[in-house]
Amino acid sequence: MIYVVRRALATLFFLIVFGPVLLATNADTEQNSAPIDVMGKVINHDYFELFGGGKVYLPRMFYSGGEWYFFRNTYSAIESGEFVRGEEGGIVRADTGEPIAFDLSITSHLMYLWFSLILTFFITYLAGRKYRQGIGRDSEPKGALLNIFETLFVFIRDQIAKEFIPKEKYERFVPYLFTIFMCIAFMNLFGLLPWAAAATANLTVTATLAIITFFVTQLNGTKDHWKHVFVFPGVPKWALIILTPVEILGLFTKPFALAIRLFANMLSGKIMIVCILGLIFVFTELFGAVIGVTSGVFWVLLTVALYFLKALVALIQAYVFTLLSSVFIGMAVEEHHHDHEDSSVANAKDVALQNH
Amino acid sequence: MHYFLNGSLLSFDTGFGFWVFITTIVFLWAMNKWLVPPIMSALKEREDRIRESLETAEKALAEAEKISRSNEKALKEAEITAQKIRKEALEDAEKVRNERIEKATQDAEKLLENARLKIEQEKKSALNELRNQVAELAVQSATIIIKSELDKEKSRHLVDSFIKDLSKKN
Repeated sequence: MIYVVRRALATLFFLIVFGPVLLATNADTEQNSAPIDVMGKVINHDYFELFGGGKVYLPRMFYSGGEWYFFRNTYSAIESGEFVRGEEGGIVRADTGEPIAFDLSITSHLMYLWFSLILTFFITYLAGRKYRQGIGRDSEPKGALLNIFETLFVFIRDQIAKEFIPKEKYERFVPYLFTIFMCIAFMNLFGLLPWAAAATANLTVTATLAIITFFVTQLNGTKDHWKHVFVFPGVPKWALIILTPVEILGLFTKPFALAIRLFANMLSGKIMIVCILGLIFVFTELFGAVIGVTSGVFWVLLTVALYFLKALVALIQAYVFTLLSSVFIGMAVEEHHHDHEDSSVANAKDVALQNH
Repeated sequence: MHYFLNGSLLSFDTGFGFWVFITTIVFLWAMNKWLVPPIMSALKEREDRIRESLETAEKALAEAEKISRSNEKALKEAEITAQKIRKEALEDAEKVRNERIEKATQDAEKLLENARLKIEQEKKSALNELRNQVAELAVQSATIIIKSELDKEKSRHLVDSFIKDLSKKN
């Protein structure tokens, strides 16, 4: 077993080291103006890349000029004659030249999102079936997979949900927190595959997830939560002029920070790796193939180190997103059982009174 | 490079966002409704049971300790009682022995007394008989004396010989 794993790792390492180097030596023969396409590695595509470089073009559906269009892929849309390549990317109407108004096309990042959701769904379903059979319910959990699942699930429940959300309410939010944790973790880990992409390196995905957190937070907000937003208790009336706008702004900055944090972390990891590997191409162009290929060993080793970091970051960012979601939800659903004004000033007064 | 999707890296893609939102919400709903609750309840059930059995075990242990403590106490009490009973039995036995001895002594004394009384009686009756005999003998001797009054000398001789006979007889 260990032998097989070691063999596979050695092969993988070999491929990782020599794959880009071989590509670099062929770079001259390619038609591209840039030796390596950094942006192409991170942005959303209308095709799904397979292991080995194959591409599966995904269906396009969009709303343009008061009409819905459905095509098998982008090329069939262009072949139909109704759409042409746009000047600044994308496709535009052939007749008026205006871009697509509402694009509901299936994209690569959407596919990864779906994979992640389906994986999460499937894993949870399998685990749930075991629990329904009584394994884990009447006995200890059996099997590595169920144990791993339970470790994650109990971690989300106890360390994230129970920790920050009041005891009587936390159970309602465990499904949400568990789903986004697993889904984001899977999306991040997909980003580690060289041919795949991290859907979380797309602002739209992270923003949408943050919007869902925002809705979950605000829809479950208690009267106290809204009171703290609009009429912060325990401060003089004139201060509300400043405080209320800040609090209202705070409602939106929280999910904004969530979205940007995840997006930037995942995007930067991918760009870093592509750029460092791209240095092989740059060196090849600048100093010739020999120096380029020789220095490639160093760049590849650096990339390997970055990969470990990225694997760590993938899980950490999923954890951070879930943790902060939990914190925000916990703040919103919390009820203060104090009769007096709850503020730092009031608390300080209490402390002062107790000391006398 | 030419990309066939609109939008740049930092823009929010409405259509794509719509997809993400809808699918995520649908999956979340399914997870919330069907998949996670049984797991939550199973875990809760198991945890509750473990907690309950721990509590029960603790209670049982306390009970067992209490029982063993009371058992020990009972044992000690029983030992004390047994010792007391033995002591009492010994005392009783001593008492009975003493009583027996006393009774035996008393009986013996009584027997001795009886014997003494009987001896006394016998002696008395013997003395009485002797007295009677002596009296009779005296009467007889008197009769003899009266018959031989003529000769003083002779009479004296007679009495003397009679008394001598008497002592010989005795």
